[in-house]
Amino acid sequence: MQGRIDRPLRNARLAGVLLLGLLLLTGCATTPRLAESTAQALPRQAWVEDVPFHAQREYQCGPAALAMTLNHAGVDVPMETLIPQVFIPGREGSVQPEMLATVRRHGRIPFVLNDSFDALLTEIATGHPVVVLQNLSLPAWPMWHYAVAIGYDLDARELMLHSGEEAKRIESFRRFDATWARSDRWAFVALRPGELPSGIGEQRALQAIAAFEQVQGAEATLPAWVAFVERFPHSGMGYFALGNARHATGDLEGASEAFRSAVAQRDDLGVAWLNLGLTLQAQGNIGEARQALERAVALPGHWQAHATAALERLSSGD
Amino acid sequence: MKTLRRFLSPLLILALVLGSVSVSAAPLPTSELISTQAALSAERADADRERINEILSRAEVQEQLIAQGVDLAEVDARVAALSDEEARQMAEQLEQLPAGAGVVGALLVVFIVLLVTDILGLTNVFPFTR
Repeated sequence: MQGRIDRPLRNARLAGVLLLGLLLLTGCATTPRLAESTAQALPRQAWVEDVPFHAQREYQCGPAALAMTLNHAGVDVPMETLIPQVFIPGREGSVQPEMLATVRRHGRIPFVLNDSFDALLTEIATGHPVVVLQNLSLPAWPMWHYAVAIGYDLDARELMLHSGEEAKRIESFRRFDATWARSDRWAFVALRPGELPSGIGEQRALQAIAAFEQVQGAEATLPAWVAFVERFPHSGMGYFALGNARHATGDLEGASEAFRSAVAQRDDLGVAWLNLGLTLQAQGNIGEARQALERAVALPGHWQAHATAALERLSSGD
Repeated sequence: MKTLRRFLSPLLILALVLGSVSVSAAPLPTSELISTQAALSAERADADRERINEILSRAEVQEQLIAQGVDLAEVDARVAALSDEEARQMAEQLEQLPAGAGVVGALLVVFIVLLVTDILGLTNVFPFTR
């Protein structure tokens, strides 16, 4: 008698424990919310035209996602070329740093977006396909997956992705965000030098462009620095970088102009005074070169010794 | 990896020290500007030690990628395309970094749990649950 009454109770308790465990395991998934301003500014539906679809072969969603986004950005590279460039056989997958590095090798700048749904949808609305990293499974048994987000519908609350073997897959915002949140909402766009993501922060953009320049050189990067100072006109480091890129391509006039803008924005940027002085000296403008170097020497910091040496060379008439 | 670091560290420190000595002894050509990348990394503290670590990181990443079966002909170009910070990240935690593959190796229990979470809309493992 006793046992018969208890059984349903015990079952209910077991179910409760299981459910609780499940919730703890997964964290609570809720529908992502957009900031009010983003929701106002974005069109209700948007999708990126002309994103070619490459179906992944086993384990190779990384190269597939790269091929789709690079092709859309005007780089004619087949997935077969990308596999040996980004796939790690021992890990049976591709890792985030190398996804970004491979974009650089193909002459496009990878910008990692800030970890928000707003940034993701904004980029799609601007016409940029976005590579996202999802964990389609649970944290305990991860199933990491790269897909390319290409469209959304705010009213239906759905996202459109080229994913795995499926083109234009539709996923609800809620399910997508649950899987995307497990990668800390990692996403990037691959853009031509000269284009910037709409909501990108100054430091993030600066680092992304500088990393690209290290791989592709000053000439390829020049348009990106021009776009950068247009977007962030108060960035001393931006003008400094622009000056360096112009100098490296032989445009001394343009370089000294950019260095002047750099110190106009940040008078304490010793390294910009130093490069300004050296550039003016190379142009034969010794008087102003001396003034700039003296300013660099007066500023404490990493480059003070360099500046002192440069000023000494100028004075000794080398 | 540890032995490589132990072996390379003193060499690199020596090389960097000699490098900076020769800079102050024989002046740079006047056209040599400070690069954007050097200026950015100097903005962070401990710039010199960081440079040593970055060079070491790249050597380590190279070793690890070869050990993970990456084609020898590709390794140099792959490492060269990493930013300094990415190289450091790869050297320190390549094993822990998520590797996007899109396949799960599932056990039966796992299968059932994932089936339930799929139906709840928390995961997206099985195409037929949508």
